[in-house]
Amino acid sequence: MGVDISDLVEARKVALADLSGRSIAIDAFNTLYQFLSMIRQPDGTPLMDRDGRVTSHLSGLFYRSAALLELGIKPVYVFDGKPPELKRKTIEERRAAKEEAEREWKKALVEGDLKRALSKASRTAKLDSDMIEESLSLLDALGIPWIRAPSEGEAQMSHMVRKGDVWAGASQDFDAILFGAPNLVRNLTLAGKRRLPSGKTVDVSPEVIELADVLSRLEVSREQLVDMAILMGTDFNDGVRGIGPKKAYALIKRLGSLEDVRAEGKVLVPDEFEEVRRIFLEPEVTDVYSLEWDMVDHEGVRKVMCDKHSFSVDRIDAVLAKVLAKSDASAQRSLDSWS
Amino acid sequence: MFQAKARADILKEVVNVVSTLVDEAKFSVNSDGLSLKAVDPAHIAMVDLSLAKDAFEEFKADEAEIGLDIDKLSQFLKLARADDIVDIKHDEDKRRLNIVVGDITRRMSLIDTTGMSDPKVPSLSLPASLTVNVDDLVQGIRASETVSDHIALLASPESFEMTCEGDMDQVNWKKAKKDMESLEAPSSVRSLFPLEYFANMLKAVPSGSSVTMHLGNDYPVRVEFKIAGGKGDVRYLLAPRIESGD
Repeated sequence: MGVDISDLVEARKVALADLSGRSIAIDAFNTLYQFLSMIRQPDGTPLMDRDGRVTSHLSGLFYRSAALLELGIKPVYVFDGKPPELKRKTIEERRAAKEEAEREWKKALVEGDLKRALSKASRTAKLDSDMIEESLSLLDALGIPWIRAPSEGEAQMSHMVRKGDVWAGASQDFDAILFGAPNLVRNLTLAGKRRLPSGKTVDVSPEVIELADVLSRLEVSREQLVDMAILMGTDFNDGVRGIGPKKAYALIKRLGSLEDVRAEGKVLVPDEFEEVRRIFLEPEVTDVYSLEWDMVDHEGVRKVMCDKHSFSVDRIDAVLAKVLAKSDASAQRSLDSWS
Repeated sequence: MFQAKARADILKEVVNVVSTLVDEAKFSVNSDGLSLKAVDPAHIAMVDLSLAKDAFEEFKADEAEIGLDIDKLSQFLKLARADDIVDIKHDEDKRRLNIVVGDITRRMSLIDTTGMSDPKVPSLSLPASLTVNVDDLVQGIRASETVSDHIALLASPESFEMTCEGDMDQVNWKKAKKDMESLEAPSSVRSLFPLEYFANMLKAVPSGSSVTMHLGNDYPVRVEFKIAGGKGDVRYLLAPRIESGD
């Protein structure tokens, strides 16, 4: 999902602890979906409470946010608002793909093929409004600020990084780079040992991608990078058949812009390109938000996690104790607040 | 190309300045001298150092970046007496720095500097500035270290103060304007800093020299001083702690 420009960017691997003291805006939907697809039993069944409600997203949100707080990293979660009209097709396609995966998961279970079941199940993740509300109350209890974006969450978080209110955005997608975030962190909420749906484990470490670095390496402007993305296909338009990162880069490098590509007449530029460009370059964002990290409300966390969703009190308490021990250090600012 | 000869005490001063913040650092050399910008892993403090070529006995360099393990360098320099001349040569092919002290040659492998980008130096407008003797400051710091892990710096038109408040005890160090080399503060300003960082910065200042500090309200402090007998400039930046309501 999002635009895959991984071939065009170079990421710098960092240790999670290196990000201590930084404030980071996290793409909430992207992250919650990650938790929902990863936190599953070997047969693909998600984590559930005693009433059979899915709790994978809460488990991920709690343990990962706590780990960030403990390291002195200050997260703020940015939720999607109303998607742009052009995204509707992508959303429909995703829904259809999930239904298909759901059918295949069940089939694999019947056939007893666990590996295939887990792999399919991880693609069925659905986030409903109750799950979002629970996530928000957990964040409130953890003292972590959250923001509902007017439209795309990644656009909002990139806006906040550009303004300097937070140091970086965090998402697995690269779209934040197109939205102009100077710093993007990938793998923030999945650093550590991870089991892939295939059953293999990999060691994942966070990586930082800098917009300035991407642009200077490719010697293009952000506008040109967006034009390249449009050729490759984004969440808001289908790409041109047969054009991947390398060809898109070569075309824009040679001709300059999508207008020039269209004028040359060899490649059929998507009709809606000007509107897609506007989504990336002049997105709908808000300046109305406050970034305040409060003390952890121990009781509040227990209520959401243990009382409502059957998490073990001992395990939740143990994690909270570590966070509380650390919270005094959060008064220390980082120099990034002034750069 | 980079080759130079320098007195060991000058190199030790450089290492002291840098090692307070980072274990590995990227030095830039060019025909004018040597410089470095680095920020500590938590991004709480930054150092900006430059050493003119006449701080060296001999100095020849084309533009180059040299990544060094500061700890290794520091250990090796301990073998040298203050007035020993240290001979340094960059071996580009083998990616090493060859350092000679007396009869010993140390070939030190360099660290990869790709991905070590220069930190952006924040532009700050800091209303108050003052200059004092570092030895006086270090005394005030010593008195504070047992009391708390942070220290407040206060500048007013009349005086400069450092205050350290623990749970039970308090230390106050104060100098009137007339007892300082200079003090310019249009109004009173105050910022709180992590003591360990601040103390380590001041301990890197050559004894007996002057330190200039620029201060604001809940703003980073800029600490400036000379090394290498006036031929090197150091600027430290340190981010403040922001006091919570309680």
